[in-house]
Amino acid sequence: MKIVINRTACAGHARCHALAAEMFVLDDDGYIATDSFSVPPGSEQLARRAARACPERALEVLEADSGHERENNG
Amino acid sequence: MTDDAVRDLMMSPGDVLAGLPDHVPSELACEFDIWAEISAAGIGAHQRAAQFHQQLPPIFYVPRLGYLPGAWVPQKAEDLRRILQDTDTFSSQNTMPFAQMLGEHWRLIPLEMDPPEHTKYRALINTLLSPKKVAAIDDSISQHASNLINALVANKRCNFNQAFADQFPTLIFLRLMGWPESEAPRFVKWTHTLVKSQDMQEVVGAVVQIKSYLQQKIEQSRINPVDDFTGYLLASEIDGRPLTDDELLGFCFLVFIGGLDTVASSLGFHFMHLALHPEQQADLRANPDKIPLAVEELLRAYSIVNMRRIVTRDVEVGGVRMKAGDVVLISTELGNLDPDAFARPAEVDFEREDITKPHMAFSYGPHRCVGSHLARRELRIALQLWLEKVPMFRLADDCQPIMRASGVFGMDNLVFEWE
Ligand code: HEM
Ligand code: SF4
Repeated sequence: MKIVINRTACAGHARCHALAAEMFVLDDDGYIATDSFSVPPGSEQLARRAARACPERALEVLEADSGHERENNG
Repeated sequence: MTDDAVRDLMMSPGDVLAGLPDHVPSELACEFDIWAEISAAGIGAHQRAAQFHQQLPPIFYVPRLGYLPGAWVPQKAEDLRRILQDTDTFSSQNTMPFAQMLGEHWRLIPLEMDPPEHTKYRALINTLLSPKKVAAIDDSISQHASNLINALVANKRCNFNQAFADQFPTLIFLRLMGWPESEAPRFVKWTHTLVKSQDMQEVVGAVVQIKSYLQQKIEQSRINPVDDFTGYLLASEIDGRPLTDDELLGFCFLVFIGGLDTVASSLGFHFMHLALHPEQQADLRANPDKIPLAVEELLRAYSIVNMRRIVTRDVEVGGVRMKAGDVVLISTELGNLDPDAFARPAEVDFEREDITKPHMAFSYGPHRCVGSHLARRELRIALQLWLEKVPMFRLADDCQPIMRASGVFGMDNLVFEWE
C-alpha cells in the first residue's frame, strides 16, 4: 500500500501525524514532509485511518497489490 | 448596548424583507439575527444552532449579524469546505472590522490576506507555533494550569471563567510573547470586549487601547532588541525588506485576537458540558487516555468561531447565486453540526464511530488555525489536570450562565461546585 500526498493541499493540521507520527513525518513548520511513501506491512489499517483524518483530503491511499507496490518503489 | 440598538436588532419579518439585496430570493431570508437567536438559547446554544439544519435552507441569508451587515450563511460542511479552499472566489480581505472602525487601513496578518500573498506571511508565524515548538513548552503549560487549579480547589466552588478559563491561556500567551504576567488582567478585559461586545463604541475603545499597547511594545523592542515575539517579527523580512509598522501591528493584533479568547471560550463550553453530564465526566476521570479524542469531540460539538469571506466574482454555490461583494459567514458550529457530516450531530459522544473524522473547528484551507497545536495542548492539559485535582464538579444551583454568540462564541458566568 502506498500513500500519495497532495502537498499543495496540506494546510498543516498535523492530524495524520497525531495518529501515526512515524509514517506521517512533518517538516519544521508542521506541514507534511514527503510526496509519497510505502506503508510498512501491518500498518495499513492505521495508515488508512490517518489518511481519512486529513481535513484537507490531501492524503490518497493507493491499495495496490504487492506486485504493483514493488514496481512503484523501484 | 443602547435601547435603540436592541430595538434595531429585533426586526419584524417585514423589515427583514425590505432590507434584502435584490438578488436574494425572499424564501432564502432568515427572519432573525442568528447570533441573537443562539445567544438567547443560553446553555442550549449549540442545540439551538443544530436545529437550523432542520428549519432553514442549506444556504440562507441573514440581513444582519449583531453590528455587522447581512451575509450568506452556508450550513453544509461540504459547501463550507469548498468555500474555504477556494480563496480566489472567497476572499479574506477586509473581513475584520477593527481598522475600519478607526478609519485606518492596517490589516490583520495573515488573516486578512489571500494566497499567494498570504503564504509568505503565514510562513513567518508557522515556525513559531509548529507542533515541535509547542511540544517544547508543555511543562510550562502544565505548570500554569496546576498553579491556577491549586489556588482554587480548596474553595469547593469557583467562577470558572474568572478563576481559570480566562487566566490560563492569557498566562501562556504572555509567556509566548515574552511579556510580564502582571499584564494578565487588562489582557483579559480587552479580549472580552473586542470579540464579545455587541456595542460598537465599546469595541472601538478596546481597539484603540490594544493598538497603543502593542505599538508601545513594538517600539520598546526596536530600541532594546529582545528575543521574543516582537523581536522575531522585527528581525523578519518579506521580499527582502523588514516588516512595515502596519504589518507589525497587524501580526500582533491578530495573535491577540486569535490566541486568548478562543481558548478561554472553548474551555468554558467543554467544562460546562462535563459539569452537566456527570456520567461523561466520570468516564474521563476513569479513562484519562480518552481525553485527547474527547477534546476533539467537544471542539466539534461546541465550535465557537464565525468568520467571514467576501465573494470576488458572481458564483453559484449549492444552487444559490452569490454576487461579487456579498459577504459569506463561515459558521464553524453549523458545519460541525451538519447531520450529513456527523451522525446525531448535536450529541456529544466520546465513543462515536466518526470521532476521528475531520471537523472544522479550526477552519480548513490555507487559513487553518496556526494556533491549533497550542490550543489542543492547552485544552487537553487543562482537562487532564482539572480532573486529576478537582473532585466531581457540577453547575452551582444559583449559577446563571450568559451565552454570547458573535465572531467568537462564549459562555460566561459559569459557577462550578464540588465536595
Ligand atoms: C480553541 C481555540 C482556537 C480556535 C477554536 C481557533 C479557531 C480559528 C479559526 C476557525 C481560524 C480560521 C480563520 C479563518 O479561516 O478566517 C483561526 C485562525 C488563526 N488562529 Fe486560531 N483558534 C484557536 C486558538 C488559537 C491560538 C491559541 C492561537 C495563537 C496563539 C491562534 C492564532 C490564530 C491565527 C494567527 C490565525 C490566522 C491564520 C491565518 O489567517 O492564516 N488561534 N483560528
Ligand atoms: S492531516 Fe493533511 S493537512 Fe494535516 S498535516 Fe497531514 S497531510 Fe497536511
